[in-house]
Amino acid sequence: MKAFVHHLAYDFKTGIRDKSKLLMFYLFPMVFFALVGGFMTAVNPFFRETMLPAMLLFAFMSAALLTLPSIFLNARESGVFRSYKINGVSSASIISIPVIGAAVHMAVVSVVMSVAGVALFGGIAPTNIAGYAAAALLSYLAMAGFGVLIGVAAGNTNVSVLLGQLIYIPSIILGGLMVPVDLFPQAFKSVSLLMPAMHAMKVFKGLGNPQSAVIPWIPICVLAVSVVLNFSLAALLFQWDSRANQPSRKVYAAILSAVPFIASVLIG
Amino acid sequence: MNEAVVSVKMFRKRYGDTVAVKDISFDVHRGEIFALLGPNGAGKTSTLESLEGLRRPDGGSLTIDGLDPTRQRRRLRNTIGVQLQSSALPPSMTVDEAMRFFCSYHGVAARHDLVERLGLSEKRRTQYGQLSTGLQRRLALAVAVAHEPAVLFLDEPTAGLDVQSRAELHAIVKELRGSGTTVILATHDMAEAEKLADRAAILLKGEIAALGSPRQLTAAGSRKTRISVATENDSLHLGGEEFPDASFQGWSEGYAMYISSDPGRTVSAILACLESTEDPLVDLRVERPSLEERFLEITGGRK
Repeated sequence: MKAFVHHLAYDFKTGIRDKSKLLMFYLFPMVFFALVGGFMTAVNPFFRETMLPAMLLFAFMSAALLTLPSIFLNARESGVFRSYKINGVSSASIISIPVIGAAVHMAVVSVVMSVAGVALFGGIAPTNIAGYAAAALLSYLAMAGFGVLIGVAAGNTNVSVLLGQLIYIPSIILGGLMVPVDLFPQAFKSVSLLMPAMHAMKVFKGLGNPQSAVIPWIPICVLAVSVVLNFSLAALLFQWDSRANQPSRKVYAAILSAVPFIASVLIG
Repeated sequence: MNEAVVSVKMFRKRYGDTVAVKDISFDVHRGEIFALLGPNGAGKTSTLESLEGLRRPDGGSLTIDGLDPTRQRRRLRNTIGVQLQSSALPPSMTVDEAMRFFCSYHGVAARHDLVERLGLSEKRRTQYGQLSTGLQRRLALAVAVAHEPAVLFLDEPTAGLDVQSRAELHAIVKELRGSGTTVILATHDMAEAEKLADRAAILLKGEIAALGSPRQLTAAGSRKTRISVATENDSLHLGGEEFPDASFQGWSEGYAMYISSDPGRTVSAILACLESTEDPLVDLRVERPSLEERFLEITGGRK
């Protein structure tokens, strides 16, 4: 346990010490928040309703989809995992600690964005703080699950960047972050259900600002199943050594991560 | 030094259809420095990594201090220390953090004395990625020995180091042997193996081609000794002298070069000849074949 705490403390510190992590955990989402918060609320007053969850999700996706994969990939390819294995660091610690470390950074970012969003840009504050926090946690874990899976399964940086962007960019456009899903054409509404961000926005809306007593069970279940599935797949596909010399057939199992989202499209 | 702390019996390792290591056996005794030598692809890394528990053997048995590296990994990790060439520490981890981090996983207090002993005390707050190659290797060694392992594995420990760093690292390895640590060393550097190792095994195509002390290994070779002689008047050359059990190889930088199968007789004859011709001796060198020459002889020049 002491070793786990040491490891976690070290990982958290690198989030501030490492310039690329600092950029992706704090600077990039904060600058985007300042720009979008100022611009979008000016041109579209309705954006105030979704601004806080949208900005939080943007930060979570930047950390999880654009940063976590490279943490895993670089450590594996440079032989850091080998050092860990020799010295008794478990694969469970290797997978969980960067996720927990980034979660602490995201918690800081979430608090700053939520307070500043209301104070500076007139964002609508959540009426249920506990529900809002639960939605944030579930959303972060769902994004982190994809980030870890990409980092574990990708054979090189190019592939990891491509896979990360494959979820990140459509999520920004079709995830309901900038434009409410109600305004989407029907075909795009269905496609948007393939995006974890869309389900996360529904969970935020249902749990953070519950205007009706209906709990958004379907998006909650989709994200929860996705979290369990992605972390399980990551544990299954985890390799201590470079993927360059490993057979990659098992890697295709990572495609299973799309199953909950495809199911949600079918359910409608 | 008689107790076998590492035992390899009929060890076999296969990758698909390729047999990388073919039923090799050897023991390493407590407090011994044992070198594994061989050209690329000889099976050194497979043997080392199987002993370290990183790979599963396909046949035979391996034990380290009575532990099976495959089945008893948890206990093994406190018995062995490993400095791998193909491993690294996280680049943003400082020297102090690395010591605390890995010591905590071994359940021992951080060994800041080792940081000082290995000349890293001024770099305690420096990140691993900002250390020179020599200092990175020292840190890796400090981390590997911090929990006082019974067996230390070193894979190319001095690759890329300058002369001074190599000498310092050699001194540390000898010191560890002196304190009872068994060291298994994989290296391409024959001079290093000759200097450090008590015994060495030369692996070739997955089999042990030779095993013994560096002296035994070289003595088992062609037994040819090189004799170089420099005199004031170069009379050996001018006189075209022939000596028993020796063949003249030519001249190099003012030295007459001979290869002898009986260096005692040859040297006596050379000295007698110089006395008779009254040509003063400037320098006489008698060189036994090195481990490197023996290695090249066994491996057919592959390194």
